Amino acid sequence: MKRHTILRRLIICVALAVVSAFFMCGEAGAKVNIVTSVPDFAAIAREIGGDKVDVVSLGKGYQDPHFVDAKPVYVTKLNRADILIYNGLDLESGWLPILVTGARNSKISTLNSEGNVDASTFIANVLEVPTGPIDRSMGDVHPRGNPHYLLDPRNGIPVAKGIAAKLSEVDPENASYYDENYEKFAKLLESKIKEWDEELAPYKGTEIVSYHKNLEYLSEWAGLKEVGFIEPKPGIPPTPSHVAELIKKMKSMDVKLVIASNYYPQKTPSIIAEQTGAAFLSIPTQVEGEDGINTYFDLFDAIVGEITGALSEKKGAADHSYSGTEG
Amino acid sequence: MDFTRIILILAIFLASSPFFQSDALGQESDDVKKELRELRQMMEKMQQRITELEEKNKALEQQAKEREEEEEIKEEIVVKEETVVTPSAPQPQEPQSFLGKVAQAINPEISVVGIFAAAYYSLNDPVVFAEIDPQNTGVNVQEIEIGFQAVVDPYFRFDSFFPITNEGIEIEESYGTTLFSLPLNSQFRVGTMRAKFGRINQIHRHNQNFVTLPIVAAEFLGEHLNPTSIEANFLVPVPWYMELSASGGSPDVETQTFQRSPDANNIGNLLYIFHMANFFEVSDSLGVNLGASFATGSNASGPDERSNLYGADLFAKYRPLRDNPYQEFSVQSEFMWRQAETPEEELEDYGFYAEAIYRFAKRWNTGVRFDLTDTNTPVTEEDEGGEVIEQAGISQVARQEEEEEEGMLGLLGRAYRISPMLTFSPSEFSRIKLEYDYLNQNYGPDQHAVFLQFLYAIGAHGAHPY
Repeated sequence: MKRHTILRRLIICVALAVVSAFFMCGEAGAKVNIVTSVPDFAAIAREIGGDKVDVVSLGKGYQDPHFVDAKPVYVTKLNRADILIYNGLDLESGWLPILVTGARNSKISTLNSEGNVDASTFIANVLEVPTGPIDRSMGDVHPRGNPHYLLDPRNGIPVAKGIAAKLSEVDPENASYYDENYEKFAKLLESKIKEWDEELAPYKGTEIVSYHKNLEYLSEWAGLKEVGFIEPKPGIPPTPSHVAELIKKMKSMDVKLVIASNYYPQKTPSIIAEQTGAAFLSIPTQVEGEDGINTYFDLFDAIVGEITGALSEKKGAADHSYSGTEG
Repeated sequence: MDFTRIILILAIFLASSPFFQSDALGQESDDVKKELRELRQMMEKMQQRITELEEKNKALEQQAKEREEEEEIKEEIVVKEETVVTPSAPQPQEPQSFLGKVAQAINPEISVVGIFAAAYYSLNDPVVFAEIDPQNTGVNVQEIEIGFQAVVDPYFRFDSFFPITNEGIEIEESYGTTLFSLPLNSQFRVGTMRAKFGRINQIHRHNQNFVTLPIVAAEFLGEHLNPTSIEANFLVPVPWYMELSASGGSPDVETQTFQRSPDANNIGNLLYIFHMANFFEVSDSLGVNLGASFATGSNASGPDERSNLYGADLFAKYRPLRDNPYQEFSVQSEFMWRQAETPEEELEDYGFYAEAIYRFAKRWNTGVRFDLTDTNTPVTEEDEGGEVIEQAGISQVARQEEEEEEGMLGLLGRAYRISPMLTFSPSEFSRIKLEYDYLNQNYGPDQHAVFLQFLYAIGAHGAHPY
């Protein structure tokens, strides 16, 4: 008897599913639901989408985007998404694919889905695309290039353009609204970039040491020269011998600045800075990486402000062996 | 008169005959000859013209041909130029080998994970519960798992994992998953898969925290419960994350709890598994998973003998994102209770494990596990005075019997184990684990074991489940 009831329940379930398929229809008049992997895309999408979109980011601004936990609750968010915007270039390969599969949402589930947006496809100049053979003895190398392209503010423009185009495609009724917002965003960003460029101009060519290979785009834009990394290889934590060597190198080159994203361990970089007389900067590298950083503009205001602040202090106090640490 | 007439007529006749008109005729024939000559000349000229025309025609034809060929070549050049002109997208590199070409054609993500363990057991003939636990003192191959994963088309993805052990190659998982939106937020998986029963059953060996499998999982689920089945999952629209899943299929599994009998051709004799998973995001740093499972199907003692297996699972992870991103503390526990009918009696067994893991640095973690199984109807009777039967290898004898008698279901008695471990992960792709196991059984001698496990992973980097 038990067996029969189980079977009957199973049949009822399947029948219900089939019947309800006929009654399912698209939700009308709702806002476009955007889910992003990291908060930078969410910030840009908010600028473009304005009040026509709902935006949520899975990763937090103060979290290493390589290692976000694939929390099941993200599945429910992705399940309701019209558009998923992610960084691509394998930045999220450790956590996002399993969530997208679980989302059971054909709008985003495959690369070919309308709402599946790999933002790296908007970027014309991807740095550090390996030209020779690579393997994992080099550490956690990204085979398709360095994925941290949003740390060059100039890349914000094509990303915003791509997001605007996608929004117009998904929600054609408001296409002109998205276009207008994009124009506004791009204009403002261009003028801000000019300002930041001027602020950074006196420090072009400054040699720096960073924690991970995630500041390449920032350095290229800001004119900083990365002469060393605290990680011996991408993704491999610093070893005492590597740290000793780095300190020696920094002393001989008189490196003035050590920078680490604020989601990396702070102890080793600050010790290295102390021992070499350099300034140590722990900077937010994503929107919402610190309180008060709510937009893409805020992020670079903070980054540029901190870098120029530290370097001007360094210049001013050149005679003293000062080492500033900021958290 | 007649004569003259005849001569006249003859004369006229002769006169009119060509012979006599030869002179006049000679002039005319000259003209004809002229005309003929002219005609011949004309004909010769015409023939010349014809040959000229033919030649021209031929030349024209050749020119046309040449032009066509030229155009073809031009087209080819244009095509070539076009492919050369668009360098923005990087050209995929031509794989050289045949295997490379095949791999590119079907384009799956391929991975290989090897797990090896150097083991020391205090007993000569060690007690081992799961198939890929280290079998003997010495260096053991635990598992070499080959994985192929790819999206099939816009509608399905397909994941396959084949472990190679000393016993040969097996199908651990090979299933398709729907990718398209279905009513009731449902998703279907079809194939051979680790069933959604509890937690550890869904975790591949290389993602598990300990060298050995918890006794309760080994006893009740086999190495893993991976029936070939159809599974439906539903996301329930509640404020937290809730997933319900139901599956029905054939139990091609290595456990006595559920076993396919050749005589069972009844849909009621299949294995049915139900699971409910809940996830609560208490804060950014703390997440809690609570689950309940139920499985029912015919067991090894006969197609009409039924086993019911109930499970409850808990997983909680604390990761202080703002303070120290690489520190993590997690707790995982599962409880299982089994009711099994046999022709003689109804068995009731239970077991559980609880493990706590502390990751104190990016590459280091440590943890401890306690696991226990017990039965109220032991197969091997405990000595009445509570004295442990210490004859050499009694548990081995019982275990051998268990293997020989397919139908044997009950546990031997009570067994518990304590396992502390320390793990160093040079990178995400390799791991070295040191573990000590202390096993206590009320039907045999204690056992101590030390393991040093090495794990290597190459190929595609799969996403980590929560």
